[in-house]
Amino acid sequence: MSGAQPDLVAANATVQALRERFPDGFLRSLVTSGQMVVYVAKQRAHDMLSWLQQDPAQRFDYLTDLTCVEYRDRERPLEVVYQLRSLARRADLRVKIPLDPDGPLEVQSVIDIWMGADWVEREAWDMFGVRFKGHPDLRRILMWEGYAEGFPLRKSFPLRGHWSRAEQTRQALQTNPEAYYSLEELAIAEAYHELPADVRDRLAKAGKVLP
Amino acid sequence: MGLSPLPEAAPTTHETISPNWITTRLDFIANWGRSNSLWPMPFGTACCAIEYMATAASRFDIARFGMERQSFSPRQADVLICAGRLPFKLAPVIRRIWDQMPQPKWCISMGACASSGGIFDNYAMVQGIDTIIPVDVYVPGCPPRPEGLLYGIMLLQKKIMGETMVDPSLRVEQLVGPDGLFRRPSAIDEISEPFGNSVHQTRSG
Amino acid sequence: MLQPYIPILLLLVFVVANAVLIIGASTLLSSYRPTAVKRAAYESGMPVIGDARERFSVKFYLVAMLFIVFDIETVYMIPWAVAFQQLKSMSGVLLLEMLTFVVILGVGYVYVWKRGALQWD
Repeated sequence: MSGAQPDLVAANATVQALRERFPDGFLRSLVTSGQMVVYVAKQRAHDMLSWLQQDPAQRFDYLTDLTCVEYRDRERPLEVVYQLRSLARRADLRVKIPLDPDGPLEVQSVIDIWMGADWVEREAWDMFGVRFKGHPDLRRILMWEGYAEGFPLRKSFPLRGHWSRAEQTRQALQTNPEAYYSLEELAIAEAYHELPADVRDRLAKAGKVLP
Repeated sequence: MGLSPLPEAAPTTHETISPNWITTRLDFIANWGRSNSLWPMPFGTACCAIEYMATAASRFDIARFGMERQSFSPRQADVLICAGRLPFKLAPVIRRIWDQMPQPKWCISMGACASSGGIFDNYAMVQGIDTIIPVDVYVPGCPPRPEGLLYGIMLLQKKIMGETMVDPSLRVEQLVGPDGLFRRPSAIDEISEPFGNSVHQTRSG
Repeated sequence: MLQPYIPILLLLVFVVANAVLIIGASTLLSSYRPTAVKRAAYESGMPVIGDARERFSVKFYLVAMLFIVFDIETVYMIPWAVAFQQLKSMSGVLLLEMLTFVVILGVGYVYVWKRGALQWD
């Protein structure tokens, strides 16, 4: 596409600036399908992402997406992928944090940098089990709250799930979808004191992070 | 291949009054009224809901079959039409809505996903709503053409015309059992088994 | 002399009989098969949270009371206007009386205004 070359020029400048400013956090960079991808270390990731958002020459003010990828090769790490965009400069950048798939899956949450990270981090937690430190409300978003079968998009999770269909159906029928919603989500925060006691007990479990 | 009939699916009729001319005439009147004025509760979740909307619109027009009034409250509905795939997260919802429908009630499972899970043989989708609620008519298709859904509706009308008031088992509420399941676990596993190309899944582990 | 009203009486009898028949017949002939979930309130398939009987704001009552008072005042003005037309000779006295009436109620209006009862929030 015609706009590819100028994008890569700007992206190269970003990569150079990152390499100079964060020599310990910068791992490597590569270009794939016209996209610049930067691999960063877990410890410095939050600082680097914060700098990318704030630096006047970078200004990546829009978090397009946040997801994870686990490859079939067991040697390759599990990567947390941040797709960034600078709306003013019309530039894209992909930042990846490689994690050991067998080790602790934890990174710093970027919700303080981009508010839009709220639900996408919950989705990454729900599907991959990657914990985001500092996220105020990390709970399942696509599967239901008490879903105990595991993290569905991991390669170790079979397509049809671990349990039998009968067990999955029983679990599904016995969930109470509203037991873990927060009061704000239910829009009844003002009326809390008027609720019956059992409803208050149910709602007291809101915000709990379940394995 | 799991083709043996499930005991729950076998028809069981036990008649209280012996049928006579009067009961058959009353049956005819009641069934005629019921089958020609079925008010659907469209439980549309996905793509089949679009085809349901097409069937309800002017070209195919389910209103001429008596389904003039779409009822989005289960209290005023006769037939639950589940159009679309059903995730496990939505399973307690459809069960509750089915329970809140007053008798007489029927269910049409529209589309492949509602009938068997369709192409979604995975951790998140119910493999056929008949594991959760009793279904009267299955309409296959992905999505079924409006003519297909109309054929299914006409089949249901024929089924209703064949009902009788002397058989109280027709109007018994089939509830979720104390173990939290609607069917026996072995029956659910049997009807949820993969078939066709799904048995060639090699992506696990 | 009540002859022309007999059809109305008949209509009343028929209406009551019809209503009783319909409700009575459906009560006697219908089947009632309640279950716990069936009787629960409908909340799009979710378990019910909270009570349907919510508290109403008292502002509705206040606005209704104020409306009644000032509406009655307006209603009193109407026969006064009709009488004014017929008693044009004492127009000055009539006007003064009505003005007194309006001023008395006006005092009440100013009180209500200053107390903030006309503010919704």
